[in-house]
Amino acid sequence: MSELRFENVTVRYGRTTAVDEVSLTVPEGAVVGLVGESGSGKSTLARAAVGLAPLTTGRITLGGDPIPARGRPRPLQMVFQDPYSSLDPRMTVGRSVAEAMPPGGSRADRRAEVERLLELVHLNPSCAGAVPSRLSGGQRQRVALARALAARPRVIIADEITSALDVSVQGAVLNLVRELQRELGLAMLFISHDLAVVRYVASQIAVMRHGRLVEQGPTTRVLTEPEHDFTRELLAAVPGRTTRRNRP
Amino acid sequence: MSVTLTAPSTPVDPEHPRFWALPSVRFGVRRLRRLLISLWVLVTASFAMIHLIPGDPVRGALGPTAPADLVAARRHALGLDDPILVQYLHYLKGLVTGDLGTSLASQLPVSDVVAQRLPATLTLAGLAFLTAVVVAIPLGVVMGVLTRRGRGRRTELAFTTTSVIVATIPDFLIGVALVYVFGIQLGWLPVAGDATAPAYVLPVFSLAIGPAAILARIVRVEMVGVLEADFIRTARAKRLPARAIYVGHALPNAVTAALTVGGLLLSTLVVGTVLVENVFAWPGLGSTIVRSILTKDYPVVQAIVLVYGVGVLIINLVVDVALALLDPRSKIRED
Amino acid sequence: MQGRWRRVVRTPLGLTATVLVVAVVALAVLGPMLWGSGAGAVDTDAILARPSARHWAGTDNLGRDILLRVLVASRLSVLLALLATVISVVAGLLLGSAPFVLGRRTGRLVAAGVNTAVAFPGLLLALFFAVVFGVGATGAVLAIGLAGAPAFARLTQTLVAGVAARDYVAAARAMGIGRFRILVRHVLPNIAEPLVVNATIGAGTALLSFAGLSFLGLGVQSPSYDWGRLLYEGIGTIYVNAPAALAPGAAVLLAGLAFNLFGESVAKGLGVPVAGGLRGMGPVRAGSASGPERTGRGEDAGDRSPEVVLDVRDLEVTISGPSGPVRPVRGVSFDVRRGEAVGIVGESGSGKSMTALAVTRLLADQGRVDASRLEFLGNDLLAPDTTARRRTLGTTLAMVFQDPMTAFNPTRRIGAQLAEVATRHQGMSRREAMARAVDRLTAVRIPDADRRARQYPHEFSGGMRQRAMIGMGLMGAPALIVADEPTTALDVTVQQQVLDLLAEIRDADDVALILISHDVTVVGEVCDRILVMYAGRIVEDLPAADLATAARHPYTRALVDAVPDMNTDLAEPLATIPGRPVDPADVPAGCAYADRCPLADARCAAEDPPLAADPFGPGDPSGVADPSGLGDPAGHDPAGSPRHRVACWHAGEPLPARPEDRNIDDLVESP
Repeated sequence: MSELRFENVTVRYGRTTAVDEVSLTVPEGAVVGLVGESGSGKSTLARAAVGLAPLTTGRITLGGDPIPARGRPRPLQMVFQDPYSSLDPRMTVGRSVAEAMPPGGSRADRRAEVERLLELVHLNPSCAGAVPSRLSGGQRQRVALARALAARPRVIIADEITSALDVSVQGAVLNLVRELQRELGLAMLFISHDLAVVRYVASQIAVMRHGRLVEQGPTTRVLTEPEHDFTRELLAAVPGRTTRRNRP
Repeated sequence: MSVTLTAPSTPVDPEHPRFWALPSVRFGVRRLRRLLISLWVLVTASFAMIHLIPGDPVRGALGPTAPADLVAARRHALGLDDPILVQYLHYLKGLVTGDLGTSLASQLPVSDVVAQRLPATLTLAGLAFLTAVVVAIPLGVVMGVLTRRGRGRRTELAFTTTSVIVATIPDFLIGVALVYVFGIQLGWLPVAGDATAPAYVLPVFSLAIGPAAILARIVRVEMVGVLEADFIRTARAKRLPARAIYVGHALPNAVTAALTVGGLLLSTLVVGTVLVENVFAWPGLGSTIVRSILTKDYPVVQAIVLVYGVGVLIINLVVDVALALLDPRSKIRED
Repeated sequence: MQGRWRRVVRTPLGLTATVLVVAVVALAVLGPMLWGSGAGAVDTDAILARPSARHWAGTDNLGRDILLRVLVASRLSVLLALLATVISVVAGLLLGSAPFVLGRRTGRLVAAGVNTAVAFPGLLLALFFAVVFGVGATGAVLAIGLAGAPAFARLTQTLVAGVAARDYVAAARAMGIGRFRILVRHVLPNIAEPLVVNATIGAGTALLSFAGLSFLGLGVQSPSYDWGRLLYEGIGTIYVNAPAALAPGAAVLLAGLAFNLFGESVAKGLGVPVAGGLRGMGPVRAGSASGPERTGRGEDAGDRSPEVVLDVRDLEVTISGPSGPVRPVRGVSFDVRRGEAVGIVGESGSGKSMTALAVTRLLADQGRVDASRLEFLGNDLLAPDTTARRRTLGTTLAMVFQDPMTAFNPTRRIGAQLAEVATRHQGMSRREAMARAVDRLTAVRIPDADRRARQYPHEFSGGMRQRAMIGMGLMGAPALIVADEPTTALDVTVQQQVLDLLAEIRDADDVALILISHDVTVVGEVCDRILVMYAGRIVEDLPAADLATAARHPYTRALVDAVPDMNTDLAEPLATIPGRPVDPADVPAGCAYADRCPLADARCAAEDPPLAADPFGPGDPSGVADPSGLGDPAGHDPAGSPRHRVACWHAGEPLPARPEDRNIDDLVESP
């Protein structure tokens, strides 16, 4: 069992409540999409899970146990939005990935593991010697995914990982996410503001607004029969849904 | 220097907040608290100065040959025999009542010494700052417009190089050079302090040149930065004439940002009088503190350090309040 | 790295500074060895002598040669300054990185302490410490070292905080790596350069401060001497022998400047990015517009339909890059008719925003605009700017920019910023203009507009600011609204409101719209016609209705397939486009898309296809191709329905079966 469970999680900064009593479960091997507008608290929830934001109340468990706050490896990993800030510009791709691997193993083993991980995200293993500035945004995001996978996590949190990418390369990253889920049985909390993207990768959807979870359920159900007004509003706003105004 | 001007964004009732929740009141309270803490640190540091000196300061002041009973008497007179806490409280009480102690050298009350010397220093610093501002802001604005968006590469290079060099030259060296050229070689201007207007020229210029170079540089950088801002593009999209864009939209933003630096420069300038006063034998606090350090007249040193420090705190306070009033994003302006 | 250092030395200033620093250090090492005995020699025959052939800078009150003493003093001066710098740097580094390593509370306390200390000028701190540590060389080193520490701590703190906010530090923390280890491994290497540069500048400052203290008599004491001490002695005899004061003064100034300027030049050399983004590059020439092919424009003015609002032909934008001119827009022709909504889509670097800024003449200093025709409502936009044209454009051409947070002047009220248009161009009084502004804010559905007009931009939400921006465009009577990514920075629900508002304005007043976006679906929803841009060219010009079904260019087709929408087949992988978008600084010969295109052949790599009416395109029943693509840039056939233009040798050919998506992505060569 390795389901990620948020139980009544609240995060407050001073007097502002960023996350308000959120309970959410990411089942084993499933991708849960978390949607909401900017400031809805979805990123804060993610950061709380990996220990980057302090919980005010509530608890977050993985397979029933609290998530370790000390020591390595951490079973929960995160991939960030900005491909230009998520890799240390002075470290080679190989070193960045290797840093996340559990300690131990010979040099050759570790190198082989780095190459395996790079291949897993469809990067040429020779990339290992390159510095991030030589990679495109999409390639960097794939390195960030490889780095997250290196820690052998049970769950990965992906925070808007395609929103800073050009449209021609975001498809490759989305395909990769689906493939990793299918082939490795990886569970994932996939955060995005784009309903179409979430629809494509996630089997379940959770909707946040003003720090609260307003709706969650299977993707098809939430998209076809939304229960909350805000979900309906979000759906109506997706471009391409309304019929084009015909002009003379 | 940077104060967070925006209060946390969840007021109880945005229409009618209670008195203590008023943004301006909260700003005032926060700023006052900061001032009091800084003041306390300053006062304590100046008190601690004597006690941090290794060995016996009185013995140090009177010299190794002074008779022991004289040292003891002087120690007693200074209150150095009391427990440290008593001395501290005594010092605080003295400050509150305006008693800064007695000069070891002249036996005059230190407050008299300070009162006598302070005006000369203040005039010097004030005039120098005014000169720097009057020269630097127009210069910086013009240079900013000329070198916007990578224009005028040569002008920019010449200006930055010159301003870096000028800003690097310490005021006392400028002073020495001015004395040599205008005082000795040309004989146009007096080189030592007296109260006549010409006597001000050289000291004021020695003090003002460096800060003027720095300020002009900052204003130029700010101006160039502001001219790259999106809202300048908006102003151009409104098809405003160039002057309306520079004066109406760019200048206020550039000057607001330069204000912080201006405050720091003024602080530096006030303390910079120490060196310049010594070049020109100016009868101010600066020449007094140096003489007192050399003669180990500690009460005077303590008092003058305190005066300079308080001056710096006041300048910072004025800058912060001015920033808060000028910047509409600060919450204290909400009505 | 090598190249960057070479660039430092190549500037005249950098070279001078480097030579000076080397000279000062050499003098410090060699000076006392060469002239040590000469500087100590007492010549009682020549006490306080003026400069002569024997004593170039004269002698002091013991008859010692001043010039030799100045040369010898270099070692002590430089050494003491370096010692003080080391103290500043070490103390500053410890204090500055402490907040990152220590917990939140202790860290904040340290930071507050540093912030308090840094407000006091260095000289005041130095005087304080000089009193505490006593008069003399040791006391002065400690005093200047400690006085410099707060500034260095503050710098370190800022730099550390900057790196700490990067996601790779968050990733390392999420991995469970300790804070101290993160500091050493990720943070310090990334701030080393600015720290070293500032330490160099600090050494120069320390040298000068030391001279200051010695000059006051608080530093080095006789019989030792540094430059400051010599200056102190020389100033006393300045009327007798001026060089005794001037020589050490010049020496200390030269040495201090050497370190300072060396640091500044290194900072400048390293700070400028080596390659990449177009931002920050200088213009080739300030915004003049003299196209090479601007002939006979008077005649064909009559050909155009009076319906045409904006007419663009052969538009080129050139900006200067680090290695020669770069052309982000390479020959774009299109027009916009009254009431028409034209979308421009493309990825970053495709030139779509440059096109928008160029046709509205807002590119100003950033680059040179060339075109064979650029007309808005019959006004030649290539002609020099006049008050009359400013008035026309100011009232009939509206702009909406991407980031509503930065597009308003933060120091002025919203209402005043709108009213400015009316007072400037429409001759209204301040009061009338204000009333008009409130009216326009109401028109863009800003509630309580009267009160809102008196507010500052930061009091508006993002969506509201964007609406106010549209309202600003409505102060006059716009014929065209150019919106550059107007909704990219907004939430989806707000995005919809803004798009609806734009659509309403079009419907009500027959206003034309150019909508620039990276989002094919947004453009497809709002616009009548779509221009697809790639590498500075229009590769396809098609009716929006054709986008999903009848796109002919392989890039357009891939773009449509690559973006998931609410009807994407979940069973299939998304289409991907291999490689990365073309860098405008390095556009290949032939079709720019050939490298990424599954249909590309030898011809594509050699010959750039022109944008021409597609002979088999559904939008053009006549089937007559116009190989120049320019015969009728208006792009409308006689029947008036939009025509389909495409720039591809293989337009509409079936794409090969999608390759198995497992291909390995090779490293892209660095630009």
